Amino acid sequence: MNSLGEQIRSVLPYQRRNAASFALLAFAMVLTLSAFAEVGLARDGYLPAGLFTYGGALLVLAFAAYFVMAKFLPYADPLLLPLAVALNGLGLAMIYRLDLDTSEGHKVAQLAGKKLIPDDANATGQLMWTFIGIAMFVAAVLIMRDTSKPDAPLSFTPKTAQRYTYLTGLAAIILLLLPIVPGIGAEINGAKVWIHVGPLSVQPGEFAKLLLVVFFAGYLVNKRQAMSLIGKKIGPFSLPRARDLGPIVVIWFFSLGVLFMQKDLGTALLYFGLFVSMLYIATQRLSWVAIGIGMLAVGVFVATQLPFMAHVNQRIDIWQNPKPYFDGGCLLHDGKVVPVNPDTTIYKKEQAAGSGYPGFTACTKLGGDYSDSRQLMMGLFSLGEGGVLGKGLGQGEPWRTPLSFSDFIFDSMGEELGLTGLMALLLIYALIVQRGMKTAVAARDPYLKLFAGGVSFVLALQVFVIVGGVTKLIPLTGLTTPFLSQGGSSLMANWILIAILVRMSHDARKPAPQAIQDEGMTQIVSTR
Amino acid sequence: MNMDKPIRWVAVFGMLLFFGLMAQVNYVQGSEAESLRTDPHNARQYQDLFNSPRGEISAGGEVLVTSPSTGKDSPKFGRAYKDGPIFAPITGFFGGSGTATQVERAYNSLLGGKDKRIANQHWFDTFIGKKPEGANLELTIDPQAQRTAYAQLKAQTAPGRRGGAVVIDAKTGAIRVAASWPSYDPNEVAPQTGDKGVKRLGELQKGSGVLRPLNDNALSQTFPPGSTFKTVTATEAMRKLGINDQTTVNTSPLKLPESGINLPNDSDSGACGSSAPLKGAYAESCNTSFGRLALQLGIERLSQGAADYGFGKHVTIEPYMPAAESDVPINFMGADGKQQHTGQDATARSGIGQENVRATPLQMAMVASAVVNHGKLMNPYVVDDVRAKDQSELYKASPKQYGEPLSGDQASQLQDMMRAVVAQGTAKNLQGMNIAGKTGTAEQDGNPNARWFVGFAPADNPRYGFAVMTEGSGFGATGAGPIAAAIMRQVLKK
Repeated sequence: MNSLGEQIRSVLPYQRRNAASFALLAFAMVLTLSAFAEVGLARDGYLPAGLFTYGGALLVLAFAAYFVMAKFLPYADPLLLPLAVALNGLGLAMIYRLDLDTSEGHKVAQLAGKKLIPDDANATGQLMWTFIGIAMFVAAVLIMRDTSKPDAPLSFTPKTAQRYTYLTGLAAIILLLLPIVPGIGAEINGAKVWIHVGPLSVQPGEFAKLLLVVFFAGYLVNKRQAMSLIGKKIGPFSLPRARDLGPIVVIWFFSLGVLFMQKDLGTALLYFGLFVSMLYIATQRLSWVAIGIGMLAVGVFVATQLPFMAHVNQRIDIWQNPKPYFDGGCLLHDGKVVPVNPDTTIYKKEQAAGSGYPGFTACTKLGGDYSDSRQLMMGLFSLGEGGVLGKGLGQGEPWRTPLSFSDFIFDSMGEELGLTGLMALLLIYALIVQRGMKTAVAARDPYLKLFAGGVSFVLALQVFVIVGGVTKLIPLTGLTTPFLSQGGSSLMANWILIAILVRMSHDARKPAPQAIQDEGMTQIVSTR
Repeated sequence: MNMDKPIRWVAVFGMLLFFGLMAQVNYVQGSEAESLRTDPHNARQYQDLFNSPRGEISAGGEVLVTSPSTGKDSPKFGRAYKDGPIFAPITGFFGGSGTATQVERAYNSLLGGKDKRIANQHWFDTFIGKKPEGANLELTIDPQAQRTAYAQLKAQTAPGRRGGAVVIDAKTGAIRVAASWPSYDPNEVAPQTGDKGVKRLGELQKGSGVLRPLNDNALSQTFPPGSTFKTVTATEAMRKLGINDQTTVNTSPLKLPESGINLPNDSDSGACGSSAPLKGAYAESCNTSFGRLALQLGIERLSQGAADYGFGKHVTIEPYMPAAESDVPINFMGADGKQQHTGQDATARSGIGQENVRATPLQMAMVASAVVNHGKLMNPYVVDDVRAKDQSELYKASPKQYGEPLSGDQASQLQDMMRAVVAQGTAKNLQGMNIAGKTGTAEQDGNPNARWFVGFAPADNPRYGFAVMTEGSGFGATGAGPIAAAIMRQVLKK
């Protein structure tokens, strides 16, 4: 079955694009280093010390990654590495910039003898994680072998995981459940997505995401024939068999479980969206997509109707109308919102009565659900302050927003780089996703196609959920912004994701083995 | 089975997600940005006020208000008022929480650099994200005369009581003097004072006794105008009853129709003996004849006529800078909290500026200005022009007519009547001082009198209308007249 693309490729094979990749990488570094320079010049009037340590270190790391890639994977997609480096570098510059401001705030707090705020922007830590992330990229590139030789001894290819489909699935579920386990799980900022490993906090969900893609790909490759061909046809829809419906139901329960337990609409959307999209790629059946979306819609609708799920309602209400919740709002059961911010009399009454959380106490007495939209609003104010061209790096006040360096880093970028900068950032993400999809199209193996398509789409979905959340397009969810947010787990997982895509793109793009003319009549037939 | 087609569709869907995000970011940062910046919850806009220097306020070429750098992080810039208490009635204050009064409030957006006029003129700066700088204001105030007025009011007002003076350029409505005693020092509540300033502001708001330092006594407080209101009664009598300054009026004792009590005159000799021309009755300030005129007019017509001078509503000096409301009420809130109609006796007493009639010194200066300007009353204003930091003009005051409360002929008759007050009437002590006007001494139920002198200068070829009021014992001619003379000497010194 030769598609038009394959016919074109047989005449015009992929070229090595190492020079282009190098030039783009150099441009990404220029972007990053100028960002560092601007932070210092705008704030203090001279080049910052961070330019040489943070910028320099990133420069060395990026080009080391490039040379490993150029040596071992010369046909790899030329765009993926420079795009990822640009995002990582800009994120690092922004965190460095926030670190400067909060460290100053720390100094003031220390002088005043006040207690220090525990979590903070930490550029040194982020640089370390960047180093580990890129090191993992290099290691993954070196370890993974050509997918066309899966049976060579000691080989580890993107396809290896296919043999352990169910084991991977189990690992993913365990990783997802780890944060809820008492003892190792940790609640940070109200979200139960962390575990403690020695001195480090790790977000296992970031890795579970990748493992889930592996599991879905492996499972669907096995079942897709049966799922897409067998089934009753009712009108234009072909309905699946009950036993094929099983996995969907399991994932559906799982997503709703996330929604119920974690109060997290976005994460539920992320896993379910990933599964439905991979199901569609595998079976080409829109009816599956319709069934999936319908089931999720029903689940969410039921959740909003249940009295003990009022917080789901509240998430939606805050998203639609955040203002009454500023500094504390109380959603009553009849749908009315009573502000319980520190200016209200009921707040002052509870405060006078000695309550530690006067707004929360007041709301509980009213019989409603307490929530606070301060962070979301502060993020939006940050965006508003930026306007079209932004305040310029180092010249805004993005540190005003809580978590400006992690969940809300996109808003911080928006304040200092403006609408223009955000469009560029979104385009970089879109390009990474599109290069991933292109790799999926170019890949020859169905498992790899599904895998590449899945990781690309999950990246797109994650960006959509978190960026949509902080820009009030959808209800807010605490996910990391890939490559930008401060945090090691996210950086490592995403660099591994890029390494896998790079590896697969090399395998897909390298020319087919050439016939060895000396052998006379013998002809090697392409496996394609 | 080929998976390329669904992968392409998923890729397209992924792109749609990004388009959605881009559209939302455009919406938030493009069209919503302005409303987010000015959202009441957004603390940045208040913080921002102190991060860049506010525009300067000057008068007569003398810089009065500046924004010096504090050398601290918050606030980065403070606010310094030269001779703060003297100019406070016009400048107002700019406080640590961003609250402001008077001109500081009225021109907040221009002073703070947020005004669209600055953005429009410097659109390129706005486009490249350069912070617009606050614009500078030039007041219509004559700083030396303002200082004289403040010193005079301070010296002549009884202890613990109030005084105010206003001088208006009658042709344009430009306010040259608006002084108040007591006053307050805006430096004490400026942003750099921090918590101390907030506490001080609380004290000032509370005031003590009748003193409300934050509400100045020139523009923002009303007093009974007493006999100076006879100018308004006379105007209405000329317009509605068809009399002129030579018409003979009855000056004999007036028995009030409801209570039967006599309305007293200061003296029942001279013009106020039995009858006199209107001019004479005005010069000697005969209460009985003006009480009669008020009764003939009725409270409705009297109130209506006063409204042409600006009574009955807040006179808008500058946008968001209204004066207190002067009033000649037809109905008023009685002691029992019920609406009451102004009766016959009260109408007679209203005609001589007592009962419930209230006026700001500004209002009485407006009455005088209309008399000076041939019956045409100009809207008072205090800001002459506004210039951006690069001296380009952003705003220039254009004199506007407020109304025409009397005809030119009637105005010149009233001018003569006011001259007669000094020449042969109640203010003979002001002869040779080149001013003319009407005296007033209003009783305030057990409190010291409100002593007024409302008139114009120069006496022969008038240009300025003024009103001076001090509280204390004695009469307007001695308690306010000399102050007016001193102020006008300074105003005319050029």
